[in-house]
Formats: sequence, C-alpha cells, structure tokens
Amino acid sequence: MPGSIASFIIGVSSIFLAYYLAAVGHGLMEKSGVLNLAIDGVFTLGVAVAFAISVYTFSVPLATFIAMIVAAMFGLMLAFITTKLPISHGAAGLSTMFLGYGLAALVGLPARQLQINGRSLATIQPSLGGTWVWFYVVAFAVAVGIWYLVEKTKIGAAIRAAGENPASAEALGVNVLAVRLFASGVGYALIGIGAAVFELAYTQVWSQGAGMGYGWIAFAISLSAGRHPILIIISAMIFAVLDKYRFLIAAIYNLPPDVGKMLPFVAAIAAMIIFMVTPLRRKLAPPKSLGKIYFREERSV
Amino acid sequence: MAAEANNAKPTFLSPPQEGKEPIVSLRGITKRFPGVIALDHIDLDIYPGTVHALLGENGAGKSTLVKVLYGIYTPDEGEIIINGRSTRLTSPADAISTGIVMVSQSPQIIDTLTVAENIILGLEKYNHFVPVTKVYKTIREESKRVGIKIEPGIEVWRLSYTQKQLVEILRAILLGAKVLLLDEAITYLPIEEKKRFYKFIRQFADEGGTVVLITHKIYEAMDVADKITVLRRGKVAGHLDRKEATIEKIRALMFGERSAEITYERLPTAQPEPNTVLEVKDLWVMGDFGGYAVQGVSLEVKEGEVLGIAGVAGNGQKELIQAIMRLRPVIKGKIMYNGEDITRKTTYYLRINGVGYIPDLPAKYGVSIENSIIENIAVLPVYSRGIINWDKIRELTLKLIKEFEIKTPSPDTPVKFLSGGNIMKVLVARELTVATNLLVAYNPTRALDEATAIKVRKIIKDKVLKNKVSAIIASEDLDEIFQISDRIAVMNSGKIVGVFPADKAKREEIEHLMVM
Repeated sequence: MPGSIASFIIGVSSIFLAYYLAAVGHGLMEKSGVLNLAIDGVFTLGVAVAFAISVYTFSVPLATFIAMIVAAMFGLMLAFITTKLPISHGAAGLSTMFLGYGLAALVGLPARQLQINGRSLATIQPSLGGTWVWFYVVAFAVAVGIWYLVEKTKIGAAIRAAGENPASAEALGVNVLAVRLFASGVGYALIGIGAAVFELAYTQVWSQGAGMGYGWIAFAISLSAGRHPILIIISAMIFAVLDKYRFLIAAIYNLPPDVGKMLPFVAAIAAMIIFMVTPLRRKLAPPKSLGKIYFREERSV
Repeated sequence: MAAEANNAKPTFLSPPQEGKEPIVSLRGITKRFPGVIALDHIDLDIYPGTVHALLGENGAGKSTLVKVLYGIYTPDEGEIIINGRSTRLTSPADAISTGIVMVSQSPQIIDTLTVAENIILGLEKYNHFVPVTKVYKTIREESKRVGIKIEPGIEVWRLSYTQKQLVEILRAILLGAKVLLLDEAITYLPIEEKKRFYKFIRQFADEGGTVVLITHKIYEAMDVADKITVLRRGKVAGHLDRKEATIEKIRALMFGERSAEITYERLPTAQPEPNTVLEVKDLWVMGDFGGYAVQGVSLEVKEGEVLGIAGVAGNGQKELIQAIMRLRPVIKGKIMYNGEDITRKTTYYLRINGVGYIPDLPAKYGVSIENSIIENIAVLPVYSRGIINWDKIRELTLKLIKEFEIKTPSPDTPVKFLSGGNIMKVLVARELTVATNLLVAYNPTRALDEATAIKVRKIIKDKVLKNKVSAIIASEDLDEIFQISDRIAVMNSGKIVGVFPADKAKREEIEHLMVM
C-alpha cells in the first residue's frame, strides 16, 4: 500500500525534524565539553515562544527565528558561566531547566488567552505542497553540514579538543571559551528551531507544559547515537515513529495508553544500553571532559 | 620563522650570542597560591641563540614559572619583557603570538584528534572553517626537514610517547617558535631518543632560536645548556655559565645542605625468603584501544625482594601493574597473592590485605586533589572501615609530613595547592604505611627531584629489608631500576624479554632489550 507508506513518511516528518535538530544541537554543544542538562527547560520555553510569537504575529518564520534566538541566548549563557567560572555544569543546567519551565508558562499563557478569545495561530502543514520533503532535506543538510564542521574543519577540531581536554586545548592555542560559546550558541539555536518545528508543524496546539519531556527525548536520541550527526538521523527516526504511533502500537498490543506514553523513554534506555555494551562504545565515546569544571587560574598538575 | 629557513643547512658554528639584548626578561615575577608563594620576585634574562636551563628541586617553582611565561598563569606582581617590550600574557595564544611555545612532560596534544588537527589548532593563518587537510602538506614538508617521520592523518593515541613529543616539537616549529619552553619534555625519553633531541635543540639554538629547558635532572642541563639558572623555594638561587658549572656546584645551589645525600649507588641487596608473595602466570591483558598490551607475562616476587620492571613507556607495564592491582580485567592467566588466587578479587580486597599501590600520574589516579592531605590518607579502606578516627589520622598525617618533608601550609590544605613533587610525596608516604606485605608501583619517583627520589627509594628499600615487604616496581627510569631492584625484568611489547639479578645485570644489555 504505497499510500499508507507515503502518509507514514509525511506523518512523522515534522516530529522527526524537531527531534533531529534538537538532538544534533545538543550533541554539538556537548562535543565542546559543556554538559547540557538544561535542554528540556529551554526546549519547553522554545515551544512556548514559538507559539506566542505565532499567535502575536501570525508569522511562522518570525516565530521560528525568535525561538531560535531565545534558545541561543540560553546556550551562550550556559557555556559562559560553566567555562568562565568554577560552576557545576549539572547545577547550572538543571537550574536553567526549571527557569525554562517557568518562563515558558509566563510567555505562553497570555498568548493562549488570546487564542481562546479567537486569535488564531500560524502553523505549517507538512502535507501541504510537499513541505514534508523540505523537512527531510533540511535534516539531511544539517546532518552533513554539522558532520563536516565537527569532523573536518579546524573549528571542529577545536570543539572536540575543548571537550576532550580543555586545559590541553588551551595550551594548543584554542580559545576554549570562544569555542564553547560557538558550539553552545549554534547548538541551542538548533534546539530552538527544533522546538519551533515541534510546536508549529507537529502539535500545533499549546497548553501549559507543552513540550516538557521532549527535550529529554532529544537528549536520549543524541546520547544513543553517540552525538554523531549522521547516526542521530537513525535514532531520531526511531523515536519519531515511536512518538507518532505510540497509541497505535499500544492499541495493537493491547497496552494501556499510559504505557504507550512511556515507550519512547523505555526505548531511550534500551538504546543507551545496546550502545554501551557493543564495540561502538569506544568509537562513539563521550567527550572525556564533558561536564567537568574547567577553571584556568588554578594550580593543577 | 622556522619555515622560512627551509634551505638552511644545520650548522653548529655560532656560539651563544652574547652581548645581544635578551629576548625574554623577567623582572620581579611573583605568584602566590593560597598558603604558598610559588614564585618570589624572580629576575631572569634569556638571550637569543642560547639553551637556558632552569633547574630546581620539586616545588622550587619551575613549572609555575614556565606557566607564567606561557600565559597559563598571570603573575601577581612583576613584569615580563619580550623583545624589549613589556608584555602581558593572559593565555597560551598570547604567548604563541609572541613566539613563545611550550612543550611539556605530559604531551598536551589530544589523543582522540589526529596529528594535523592538533597542530592546526594553534596556526593562526588558517581560518576556523578551513578543512584540516589543508595543513597536511606543510606538516609533511616540515617534518621531513627536521628529520621526523610523522603521518598527519594518524590519530595521536596510536603514537608512542616519544612520537608524541616529536609531534609537540614539530608543532612548536610550525607555530614559528622563537622561544621553545621545554618543561621536562625530554626527561622521560629513552636515552637514544634523548640524544636525537639534544642534537635538535643544539641545531635550533644555532639557527638563532632560544630554548628554555626546565628540568630537575642536572645531567640533562649539563648535556645541552649554555646557561643554567637554579631555582630554590621560589627564588633564584644562582645563575651559572655552562663553562663554570659543575655537578657539585649545581647540587649545592639546588639542595643546599641536602646535596650530600645524593648518590646513585645500588641500595643494599635484599635476602629474600623462599616463599612467593606474588605470582603472575601467563597473563593476558587488553590495552586501552583494543589489542593485548600484556601478552603472556609470567613472573614472581619472593618475600622481601624488589622486582624492578624496566621498559620504555607504553610496552605494557602500565596494564600489567593495573591488572595486578585488579584495576584492569584479566583476559587470560592467573594472579596469585600469598598463595591465593586473586584473579577475580577486587582492589578493595588487596588494599585491606597489606598491598600498597603507587600509580603513574599520581594527581590523576593516586590522590583526590580537591581533598586535603588528611582526607587523602583517611580514604584508604584500612583507615575508613566504619568510623574514621580523625585524631589518629591527623597524628599519622603530621608524622608523614615531617618524615617526607612534604611542603604544605597545613595537613588540611587541599592537595591541588601542592607542587607536583609534593603530591607525589603524599602518595608515597601514604602507600608505604599501608604496604605491610606488598608494594606495587609504577614510576614511584617520576616527578621527584634527585634528593627526594633517592630518599624515597631508600625508604622503600628500607621497608623491604626491615619488614620483609615485597615490591614490584615498574619504572621508565633505568637509574631507579638499578638502584632499587634485587632482580630486573625487562618488558618489551607486552612480553618479559629477560630477567637478571640486579647486581650482575649489564646496563647496555638491558637498554638493548628495552628497545629491541
């Protein structure tokens, strides 16, 4: 049945792109050594910002752009405070996550009120005019672009150096702060775009807490693919299918709907385990200094 | 720039260029760390075309001074004058742009990156988005010129220690280094390689470059330096010309009255008991990156003897030691401790049964640098099962600080504020108190100066002789192996290639087996 295959590919295109961009952005940031535990909060905020701007301006590009900028600001802030000061990446990340949840409500609720009062929301329909094709094209282009950037260019080497051993990287001539700002800024910009795609192309509705948990799935997607921009395509696809068809899967196997909701998370854990017990572990090892405090003016041996 | 000197033939003609203006001058450089004055008003002039050695015992301030020169630390007081201009160095990138490049004892190049990626990071003429392959040609050409064979696309973890140091030097040259800071960069190389480096250093200086050689090995300074500056406890103890320098003079400046204690005589040979304390049978252990690092090693250590394991770095010693300490899985073979099979036992089990352990890279694997000296001692399972008796630990700590002359403001000082040598002393002191049966060690005196290293060896040997403790000590320092061992096993490519009684062993034969 070609029709159903086509509708399947179209159906998952938006959530696939949202996951892919968020996961690849997350991976880029973490390659530079900044542990990113803020992702779910900022993703949720990005969703709210995209929704609100879309309601206020009725412009999909503008909503996406603002969501991207807001997220990028958070990326820059995280990279700055964890690199410039001896602050725990975990504490900074989780605090920012809760900040993101709070701000998301603050930003989203007034727009939601407007929407209830009749204002409509600009959205983007994957099935219209072959838009879904562009979703895949964008994902693949970003994949190749980020892969080339990280693996083949000088700045890519600098990003990996900063993640492996920032002290050595500095001695080799890398400006660790600048490189982490770059990776985190670009990384979070992608997360912001991902959040906008999630809101405007996938769910197209908003209520308080929309998007919560999806940032963590993007985190798991990135982790389970070893932060590799090309491999993330595969894991993002798997998770996209699981999310889109979780109720169908639950129905087929006669599972309660709540179990269906849990499926992506179960898959995340399974993917990580499979990945860690195979030889891939070494090939796709996490950056050695990921999440470690790097503080220059301190005696070290 | 070195790259422009492409066609220049190496010459050994030009003498140190006296009378010129210094290329680097330090005036009143002071650097304090909490509770420690690491550098106390240092004045120093370094002239172009010279090899200038900085000598000093552990904690004398050598490493701190180099880090100031390389922009890693900013001094609290004082002035750095480069080419006659007062300069503020706030990062290595700053230093590199003035022509100062450092090569340190632990290669700074990053294992997971390729040679070319490591090198391009410092090259400003390449913009950020340029593909790394752009630099391959330059690397191949320059490495050919200085007589090094390096493939730019290879990942650094595949290289040996010597090759890594060669890459560091190559990198420095490509960065257009005018002043090369060698921070114990050649101290741990095998002799053959060291000689090649001496030649290179001489050539570099004769072509007009400047080398600052930081070392705690007097011989190294005497071999290659034109000028020698001795640091002691953060101050300049004296400047010497190579011509007027003698080992005795330098030792007196470095150690003061302690210089009389330095000797490389073999320590007394032990009379081992017949019973075997440690036995390794056909041991196979994996390395970090796949492949067997230890390939069918068998050896035994009798009660009350020191077995030294000689070998060039990276021939499986590390993996063997870690496997014995149960820190690395054994793929095949057996380890017996006092007649008991410990192949599947834990490190904890060994630690509560009288085994002391001195790992390589002590700051990373031996102590927790964020914690105080007392805490680092209390953490051992022999002291911390149940409730810790802090009074007792404090007493023990104070005793060890005194006995090992650990330079620290107090026993409660976090270990990270101590110098590298003093961190090593904390570790050695602790391990010797718990090694009631067996001491397992890898480069136990690597970061220590002569006087301290010899003292540590004496203490270890004393313990072996008096308490009938056994020791297995792997070391890349042959002087150490000869001084402390009763038997010497030579390790090469994961195998034991010869075992000799130390009093009859010939140095040349062992060196030959090491590099064969």
